[in-house]
Amino acid sequence: MGPEAAKKNWVGKPLPRKEEDRLLRGRGKFADDIKLREMLYLRFVRSPYAHAKIVSVDVSAAEALPGVVATLTGAELAPQVQPFIEIAPDPGGKIKDYALAVSKVRYQGEPVAAVVAESPSLADDAAELIQVEYEALDPVIDGEEALKDASILHEEAGTNRVWRGVFEYGDADKALKEAAYVVNIDRMHFHRFSSTPLENNVVIAQWDPKDERIYYQCNNSFPSFAIQFLAAHLQVHIDRIRVQTSDIGGSFGIKITTYPQMAVCAMASKKAGGRPVKWVETRSEHMTSSAHGNERTFRDTRVALDKNGVITAIVSRHIDDCGAYPRYEPLGCVIWSQVFPGVYRFKNARIDFSQAVTNKCPVGPNRGYSRMQHLWFLERVVDICAHELGIPPDEMRLRNYIRPEEFPYTTPNGCVYDSGDYPKMLQVAKGLIGWDDWKKKQAEARKQGRVIGIGIGTTLDSGTNNFGQSQIVNPGAPFSGNSQGANCKLDIYGEVVVAVGSCPQGQGHETTAAQVVADVLNIHPDLITVRTGFDTERNVHTGFSGTYASQFAVSGLSAVHGAAQKLKAEMKRLASSVLNTKEDDLEFGAGAQGPEVRARSTGKSINYWGLANIVNVNSAVLPVEMHDVTLNCRYIWRAPFKVPDTVKKYGSLTLTYASQLHIAVLEIDRETFIPRILDYVAVDDCGTVINPGIVEGQVYGATAHGIGAALMETCVYDAVGNMLTSTFSDYTPITAMNMPKVKYGHTETPSPHSYSGAKGMGEGGAAPIHTVSAALQDALFADGIFIDDSFNNADSLFRAMVGKEISQAKQLVRVERRT
Amino acid sequence: MAIKITGEFEVKRNPEDVFDFLTNPEKFAPLLPEFQGMSKQDETHFTVKVNVGISYIKGVADVKMELAENERPRRAQYKGQGSVAGGNVSLTAGFDLSPNGEGTKVAWQGEAQVFGRLTSVAGGLLEPLGKKQVQKLIDGLQAALI
Repeated sequence: MGPEAAKKNWVGKPLPRKEEDRLLRGRGKFADDIKLREMLYLRFVRSPYAHAKIVSVDVSAAEALPGVVATLTGAELAPQVQPFIEIAPDPGGKIKDYALAVSKVRYQGEPVAAVVAESPSLADDAAELIQVEYEALDPVIDGEEALKDASILHEEAGTNRVWRGVFEYGDADKALKEAAYVVNIDRMHFHRFSSTPLENNVVIAQWDPKDERIYYQCNNSFPSFAIQFLAAHLQVHIDRIRVQTSDIGGSFGIKITTYPQMAVCAMASKKAGGRPVKWVETRSEHMTSSAHGNERTFRDTRVALDKNGVITAIVSRHIDDCGAYPRYEPLGCVIWSQVFPGVYRFKNARIDFSQAVTNKCPVGPNRGYSRMQHLWFLERVVDICAHELGIPPDEMRLRNYIRPEEFPYTTPNGCVYDSGDYPKMLQVAKGLIGWDDWKKKQAEARKQGRVIGIGIGTTLDSGTNNFGQSQIVNPGAPFSGNSQGANCKLDIYGEVVVAVGSCPQGQGHETTAAQVVADVLNIHPDLITVRTGFDTERNVHTGFSGTYASQFAVSGLSAVHGAAQKLKAEMKRLASSVLNTKEDDLEFGAGAQGPEVRARSTGKSINYWGLANIVNVNSAVLPVEMHDVTLNCRYIWRAPFKVPDTVKKYGSLTLTYASQLHIAVLEIDRETFIPRILDYVAVDDCGTVINPGIVEGQVYGATAHGIGAALMETCVYDAVGNMLTSTFSDYTPITAMNMPKVKYGHTETPSPHSYSGAKGMGEGGAAPIHTVSAALQDALFADGIFIDDSFNNADSLFRAMVGKEISQAKQLVRVERRT
Repeated sequence: MAIKITGEFEVKRNPEDVFDFLTNPEKFAPLLPEFQGMSKQDETHFTVKVNVGISYIKGVADVKMELAENERPRRAQYKGQGSVAGGNVSLTAGFDLSPNGEGTKVAWQGEAQVFGRLTSVAGGLLEPLGKKQVQKLIDGLQAALI
């Protein structure tokens, strides 16, 4: 064993993922793989209407079908439960949200009844026998229209406006008055799309009548949030709810809000005498009724610029559409403000932000949640101003970027950007794509009548959020700060076992946690077992545990690091006593007997089995003063946040800010109007990298997600609220066949806010959506077309370029020139 | 998803005969495409069973019909509502009759509003299929009223 100072650093190494062997060989254990004795199967009956009164629900024919064990309706469940907790204050707080619709339905696909049967096919057949009579009501499909309250979704709230807040900093009016240019943009729109994880939602629930405990095996990706909602809803003590997850086939945030389905499965199990009940979501159910990303409209935007094109103020009115029930909302009404100025230096701004309910699928956190809409808005503002003022888009960004020497940078709303170097990222990205060559090629191609655009998207991935921001939307909300738990122990035979409170869905937590512990104990990561999945009974979770919001590298690994340090300290104490030497004489590493602690002065050592044996088995030899040593160390990491000023809407909302800079070269086919990416670069800065392979994989994944959202994936509703894209053939999720070759680049500005310098990453800040919009803008601005929507396919480009019916710059943009 | 279709045709019978035919569910209903059966609740309300087969959605739909307008011999309008796995449909079918020599000119308007998953899984098929089925109904009416 060499000296500890010469130990290998596993953090930073492209270690192959520990998870890969089982996942790639089909040996992963997913929720639907679990089969329990006497298991029943649940099927939902869903509303075909977007907005309708429920006149009657007749379950008699279904209940008469042999093999059907129980049915459930909203009217039956409502008296047995409390409505789900609403995060919003009144009037949004008055909304009564039940897992099954009680007196009316508010979106197509809303569960109205459930049937539980001995087999999935019997449940399917029985569901078709349930007769529901509806009386159609006027649907509200558009967020802006919803704010007019012509048709109210939730009568108890009395309005469709869930929340409104004005975020005002500096003196925007003064800046507008003194500006050399004011660019007015009438309307922009960020479209509704979702995530398409390989594995849909799955819930297995068992309400055990013997001890009145509820046992869940599922793939919810934020279980500690779900159990808080479930305990209050089902009126059981939270300790009586056990949630276990195993491998999860993707979530992207969309699996956070499955607690309504979890509630129905538990109540169905209770009615069925405690038999376990499994619900496996179909793809169409997932598309119509799991959760979508937020849709947002940006109105009456005014941008003040000085004579050099430096933005001095932005004023705008934003309307967020959260679908039929707020659920995780209205947190999204403030989460966007984690990145209030984006990557730019302007200090004066006023954003009047409202959120409305509409007769569409409820939204849920979706990769880049709430921030990507705002960052797309800012990138559109920058590009539109650049084009209108005749400033090249790269130069426009350099004039407006926060400068490297300004970090840590405090934003107008009090957030602290930890580190970054956006000009360097731009330089690296331009180098990788061959910016100057493409500019020449673009000019030549245009002479030939080809439509080619080059676009830049700079974005942020804010990670490890301060839940105190919930108090900005509701001062009575009981959440603030952030914490994560981990446990690190020597098992009875000396095995190093790590448990974390996250529930990874492909992020490689088992690998990165092992890397961190391996560095602490100076052993190989293969000698460390990291427990898979989440389990409330491991007792490592906190109220914020789960996998979301780009934070594991900071919060999760800080907890793991803390637990490993605690374990190491206990091992040192014990080894010092056993080896009769001082603690600073000890070194950690691996010897002939496996992992061990060794005294440098004498060469004597004790291996991990020996240490664990003394504590757990051979305890008579344990000195009394060592009786507090457990070698089983739980550590809770807490982010150093304060509750923000809820009146001024000011304070630190996120701990780390990873950044992405993408460049796309894109051509629109003159005959088919199909946009095709010719070249693409993605440069990422997530601070100190824990595992380069995992980071690169996340960048590719986020890039694919964003390109799909920009060009292929949109949730389309017709005028009466039918969702027209409930299958893959209509929604057209991106596949490997549609992906361009992505050139990957990396820059590194370590975060001063995390112990390792790492920043949370993985959401990608929706960089491709901004970048593709920018490239389309570059291609079409000369033709008087301005990209005012985040979704652009051949149809919309045809309508803009040939039909001239949408996206016409003259109608949407007006510039006041005062120089 | 709304499907709207209008048209007109001429028959040799007089408006009173045509009106009486159109407003008699026992004569009118069997002309509906894929008709399987009918039960009459009263003079203006009846339920028809029709076969539905669009894409992989197959089944029998119960459509509750009401003779909503009844102005002999000028105008008749049916309103209906039905459901099948994957969706609900609300429909109206109106007939305006005017003398045409010794016969009758029938101007008709059909509108169907489809709700539910049906619109997504079979959305592209619904409009052409709806037009085809309506044409079948009109052809049937013309043949019956010769």
